Order: sequence, then C-alpha cells, then structure tokens
Amino acid sequence: MSKEEILSKVNEIFIDAFDKEDLVIDFNTTASDIEGWDSLMQMNLIEMIEDEFNMRFDMDEVVGMADVGAMIDIIISRI
Amino acid sequence: MNHYSFDEIEIGISAAFETEITEDKMKMFTQITEDFNPMHVDESYARSHGYISRVVYGMLSSSFYSTLVGMYLPGEKCLLNKCEIDYKNPVYIGDRLYVYGEVSDKRTATKRIKVKGKMINQNGVTVNTAKISVSFTG
Repeated sequence: MSKEEILSKVNEIFIDAFDKEDLVIDFNTTASDIEGWDSLMQMNLIEMIEDEFNMRFDMDEVVGMADVGAMIDIIISRI
Repeated sequence: MNHYSFDEIEIGISAAFETEITEDKMKMFTQITEDFNPMHVDESYARSHGYISRVVYGMLSSSFYSTLVGMYLPGEKCLLNKCEIDYKNPVYIGDRLYVYGEVSDKRTATKRIKVKGKMINQNGVTVNTAKISVSFTG
C-alpha cells in the first residue's frame, strides 16, 4: 500500500471521527489545523486507525507524533 | 469499590451488580432532569400508548453504567470517555436490573479499555446494551 493510499484511508477515518464530509488532510496536518482534535479525539483516531490497519501503536509513538505524516510513517512500518 | 490499574485489567474480566428501579429513584430523576414527559409521569398516558405502566427514563436505567465503571470495572481509577447505548426494551418501576459489564478491548497506546455492558430485568429480558470507552487516571 502506497503512502498516498494510506493517507486516503486515514482521511476517511478523520472524516468519520470528526463527522465532517469535506475534511481533507495531508501529510503536514497537525492537531492545531482541525477544530476538535483534542486529547480525547486523538485517542479515538489512534484506536480507529489501529482497527483499520490491524496494527498497534506504542504509547511513546503516539506522544511523539508531530503530524499526519509521522502517523503514516509508523503505520507503514507496521503493515 | 474496585481499584484496577491499567496494567491489572485484562480482556474478559467482568463485573455485575443488581439494582431496583424504585418509585423514589423515578421521583428523584424527574426532579433532577425536569423531564416531565407524560410517558414517564402519567400512568394513563403510558398505558394508552401500549405500555404496561409509566416507562422508566432510559437515561435513568443507563445511569447505572456510571456505577458499573466507577465502582466495579475498573472502579476508582476510571475516567468515562464514551458510552453508546441501545435501548432495547422498556423498564418499569419495580423492575430489578442485573447490570453486567465485560472488558472487551484493551489499547496500550491510548491506555484505554472498552467495556461491553448489558442490563437484564427480572424476567431475563435484555433492556439495554452499551459500548463504553474508559481511560485511566492511574
């Protein structure tokens, strides 16, 4: 699965989690770019992504995730 | 009260307790919420709509999921994050509810568990089910 394909799938998860049909993310998207991306939403996103790609993050990885690109790099390393 | 830490809790651990929906509980809930919908406060209205008697507030019966996670599963170190409830059958005053929960998922990255809950009345009828997300304060 290419990085772009993963980004597309992650974008679908963000649309579902934020309930915003027109939400578009890219590799540089951070929590400050999306209203409502707080710590609780972060947990929801992490778990939804774990379910989608059938993988698990480590807690340190989650703490260190700077943006969507960093998230996708970890996903790639796990699938 | 239980005191499970995140490390101690495991998928499959369950807990249960019983509670009765009394007239007093109904009255207190009505006062707290100021929900005077006739379905809950008017006997003849509820009967005329096909119910045996006044229907207990769904939010009253499901409030015992707070007790389930806050006192039993995991107990003290609990932070309720999400509770998705399906109301399946009416609850009536005088019903005894068996409140049950089981850990169905545990995620290290978010330090959260999921608890599957259900409430069964004295006739063995499931009155509601719940999917609960809980994080830990300790």
